[in-house]
Amino acid sequence: MAAEVEETLKRIQSHKGVIGIIVVNSEGIPIKTTLDNSTTVQYASLIHSLTSKARSIVRDIDPTNDLKFLRIRSKKNEIMCAPDKEFLLIVIQQDDQS
Amino acid sequence: MPHGFTDESLEPVEFKSTWKRELSVTSAESQTREIRTDSVDVQSYDTLNQAVQTDLNGDFSSMLLVNTNNQNLAVFLHKVEPVVTKCLEKNLKSRAFDGIRDPNEKLSEAVTCVHTLCNADLNEQLQVTGLSWNATGSTLAASFGRFDHEDWCTHRAALCTWNLDRRSIKEDKPDTVIDSPCCLMCLDFHPINPAWLAGGNFNGEVILWDLSQEDDLIVATSGIGDDAHREPVSKVHWVKGQSSKKQDYNIVSVSGDGKVLIWKVDLKKGKLRLHKGFVLMSQDLPRNMKVRGVRGDKEVGVTSISFSHEDPDLFVLGSESGCLFKCNLHAKGRPAGSHIISSVPLCSPVTFTFSPHHGPVHSVDCSRFHRNAFLSAGMDQSLRLYNMLQMQPVLTIEPGDGYLFSAKWSPARPTVIAAVSERGNLLLYDLRSGQMVPVHKLEASPNKVPVYSLQFNPQEKRILATGDGQGYIRVFRLGETLTSVSGHENEVLNDVMSTGTE
Repeated sequence: MAAEVEETLKRIQSHKGVIGIIVVNSEGIPIKTTLDNSTTVQYASLIHSLTSKARSIVRDIDPTNDLKFLRIRSKKNEIMCAPDKEFLLIVIQQDDQS
Repeated sequence: MPHGFTDESLEPVEFKSTWKRELSVTSAESQTREIRTDSVDVQSYDTLNQAVQTDLNGDFSSMLLVNTNNQNLAVFLHKVEPVVTKCLEKNLKSRAFDGIRDPNEKLSEAVTCVHTLCNADLNEQLQVTGLSWNATGSTLAASFGRFDHEDWCTHRAALCTWNLDRRSIKEDKPDTVIDSPCCLMCLDFHPINPAWLAGGNFNGEVILWDLSQEDDLIVATSGIGDDAHREPVSKVHWVKGQSSKKQDYNIVSVSGDGKVLIWKVDLKKGKLRLHKGFVLMSQDLPRNMKVRGVRGDKEVGVTSISFSHEDPDLFVLGSESGCLFKCNLHAKGRPAGSHIISSVPLCSPVTFTFSPHHGPVHSVDCSRFHRNAFLSAGMDQSLRLYNMLQMQPVLTIEPGDGYLFSAKWSPARPTVIAAVSERGNLLLYDLRSGQMVPVHKLEASPNKVPVYSLQFNPQEKRILATGDGQGYIRVFRLGETLTSVSGHENEVLNDVMSTGTE
């Protein structure tokens, strides 16, 4: 199973412009990363709290609804977050032009 | 008659010598001071050796920080991968955010000079003949020499490097100085190994230095035999070798003797081995440039070379006659005349000839963003933009600032061009503005002498270095307007390049 996880991460990483991938568990603790330690910790804690906030908004509006995907477009890059019950996948992609 | 012998004693006679003196001996004593010895113990503290190695090929690796349930993780990743993949692909094609700019945000336009470097020991006598940034973009190397020789070269030239990332940078004192018995004409850092530096000198020798060595920095040289150049080397450049190995690079050198030589590095023998060679001959000149009575196999001096960023075999040559040639490493043109001695067969590399400049070409440079675009600049004071596929230039800019010694494309923005001139200026053009006047014109020489060299930093794309006729090097930082790309620039360049094709 560990090999399959690695394979999947490798596939995502191989896309053009991907700077880093982080997998965070439900407590907000990073469990897999391709970035350095301090960046990982920073991204994990900040994105995790933002994602849970976004999720609670979606579910407050309609309790049967759920957050599927969150994209944050910034000047330099785009952060994609795919939340789930147990994990949160964060992918950072650099803007093609910069 | 009997003889009687009688005893007789005569009085001895004494006399003192007039030329010898009586010796007198006296005895004396002397005593040196007693030699005292002391023994003292000295102990230095323990040393520790620590080796550090960086990896050249950035391998993918992910760290596992916390032990977790792999089964669930795999299931989760399997579930989200398609969504993420779709998004990643969409983003690359998306034009949604093109040209979006915060109106409150002011992009800095200013181009600032961050350093003015020189080697004080050279007393402003030598010109900066070449500049190169190393693979990491932190070190700038400059070759010093002179372009105006009337005779043998008797200058004491040098190669100097500055590490601009160091905090204690001395602007008038380089970090490393390598002395050379004759003028150095050009240099180029290895594209991967940040310590390797290739250069060419006035005698036609191509040299490879390793700046990480302690004592003898020269690791390989071409020597000055039959295979080497017979004229000063005008440019050196690293090209990828045929083998798939990452580190395999060869040196290409061009020279006033018309030869384009490819050297393989042989570290064991400390030699550069001639691998392949080409020669530019007068038969390749366009018809109106040919002089009657000159043999067709007479060499034409090469002044500059630039390789295409798309096709590793394709390159452009600029010549002393003003002609520009499209060439290919696999070309098999007419063989060289019998008067040229070489251990490998030389032939003409030319596949196409462009409409010539009205004077020697000083610089050619291929664009990173457009496969057919290249720039040339020369003594006829014009800066030209050519399309590889057509003879006539698509654009000619005449700055009117004296001879142009070098012109380069910006590595950051497809439409930005930099050039340096005889009057000591750095000219920056932006093709997007549509006007053929420089967006910036800066003094690149403290005493307004001609500026000979120009080099963008390929890593730190905002940084640009120029070198002038008195040995002063200026390092400029470009403002954000000249370095941050907005959406449609490639199309602007495409439009410019396609003018005249219809």
